[in-house]
Amino acid sequence: MKTTRVSFEINNERVSLDVRPYETLLETLRERLALTGAKEACGMGSCGACTVVINGVPVRSCLVLTPEADGAVITTVEGLRQDGSLHPLQQAFMEKGAVQCGFCTSGMIMTAKALLDRNKKPTKKEIINTISSNICRCTGYKKIIEAVEDAAKKM
Amino acid sequence: MILPKFEYKKASSIADAIALYKGKKGKAVYLAGGTDLIPLIKQRLSMPSAVIDLKGIDELKSIARKDGWFEIGANVTLFDLKNNPAIDNFPALYESLEATACETLQMRGTIGGNILQDTRCLEHNQSLEWRTARGFCLRSGGKECNVVKGSKICFANYCSDNAPALVTLGAEAKLAGPKGERVIKLAALFTGDGLKPFAVDAGEILTQIRIPAKKTKGAYEKLRVRESMDYPLVGVAVSSLGAGAKICVGGVGLQPRIYERKNTDLDAGIKEIADKASTDAKPVANAVVSPAYRKKMVGVLIKRAIKRAIGEGK
Repeated sequence: MKTTRVSFEINNERVSLDVRPYETLLETLRERLALTGAKEACGMGSCGACTVVINGVPVRSCLVLTPEADGAVITTVEGLRQDGSLHPLQQAFMEKGAVQCGFCTSGMIMTAKALLDRNKKPTKKEIINTISSNICRCTGYKKIIEAVEDAAKKM
Repeated sequence: MILPKFEYKKASSIADAIALYKGKKGKAVYLAGGTDLIPLIKQRLSMPSAVIDLKGIDELKSIARKDGWFEIGANVTLFDLKNNPAIDNFPALYESLEATACETLQMRGTIGGNILQDTRCLEHNQSLEWRTARGFCLRSGGKECNVVKGSKICFANYCSDNAPALVTLGAEAKLAGPKGERVIKLAALFTGDGLKPFAVDAGEILTQIRIPAKKTKGAYEKLRVRESMDYPLVGVAVSSLGAGAKICVGGVGLQPRIYERKNTDLDAGIKEIADKASTDAKPVANAVVSPAYRKKMVGVLIKRAIKRAIGEGK
C-alpha cells in the first residue's frame, strides 16, 4: 500500500517521513525515529506507558495513527532534557525513588508534564486524578505522586 | 498489536467526509478520537478498507447555546465538555464524564464517539487469535452466543457512561448522511439488536448532541472494578427538572433502559423503582463480575443516585 508523507515537530526538531497509513505513532517513534522512551505495554489504550504530549495534550501514542499527527508539535520523554540538565520531573522521579521496574515511568512523566504545563500548582487530589490515567503494576504510586508534588514546587 | 492495512483520509467538512465514504462503497469507518475504534481494528473486530478522520472538521468541535438548546458538536472531547461552565446545569452529565475512562482518555475521546462506542462482551472484545481458538461467537460470525449457549441473539453490554446521562436530560442527536440531515431523540438511537446496536444508516455521521438548556438536578452512579479507569458494569443516571425525573440504566444489555416519573417528588417511592429496575435488568455472564451482583447493584445504584440528586447522602 502507498505510504503517506507526514511532517511534524518532535522534540524541537522538524521531521518529514513516509509512513504506512495504518502505522501508529508509537511504531513511528520507536521504529523509525529510534525514540524508544515511549513503551508499548497493552497496545490498547488502557495503560498509558506509550503517553507522549501532542500539542500540549497527553495522548496514548498506541491509539494515534501517524498521519493524524501531521503538522503537530510532539514531545516525548527524550525531549525533556534541556541543555544537558534533566527536567525537574525526571530529577524528582530519581530523588524520590518513584521508579521500580521503570516501564511505566516515561508515560507517567509525560502525563505529569502535561499537567504541570497547564496547571503550575496542582493539588494532591488533582495529581492523583491525573496520574491515575497511567497504570503502574509495581504498585509504586505514593512515590510517584510525591515526585510530581516535588517537581511542581521546583518548577 | 499491529494494525491491518487500510487507507487514511482526512475530511475537511461533513460533505467531504460523506463523499469520501461513498467513494469507499461502504467499507470505510469514521474516526474521531480513536479510543474505541483503534482497539477494535487492532483486534480485527472492525476491518475497514479506509479510515476517514473527522478531527479536521471545525463545525463538529463547537459548543453553543442556541434557541433554548445546549448544542454540543460530536467531536467535542469529554474533557472540554466536562470543563465547560454550562455543565453545571447538568450534574448527571458532568458526573458521567468524570467517571468515563481516565483524564488522558477524556482528553482524546469525543462525546459522539462515546455514544457510538461498540457494545462489549468478554467473549467478543478479544484478539482474532483468542476468538479463533475459542470458536467465534454469534457476533463474530459464529452460530450461537458463547455466553448464553444456544442463543441466536447477542447479549453484549452498551458501556457508554455519557449516553444514559444524556438520555435523562432529554437529549437529541443530529445525524448527517448520504440521504441528508435528521434529528432524532437520543433514546431512539439504540436498536437493541446486537448485530447492529445503533439506528445509524451507512455513511451517516453523528454531528451534534443537543440538550434542553435548563438547570437540572441529577447524579450518576457507576459500578466498576477499577476506580481509576474502567467500563461500567452498571451505570445509573438520574436527572430531574422540577417535578418528575428520568432515570436511565446503562452497562447492562444492548441499550440503556429508561424510567420516567411524572409529577412526583424525586424521592417518592425510591424503593419501588429500584426494585423494578433490578427485576427488569437481565445481565448475563459476559462481564468481570457475576450477573447476580450486577442485577442487585442496579437497584442499589438507583437509590444512591436519587439520594444524591436530591442532596442527601454523599
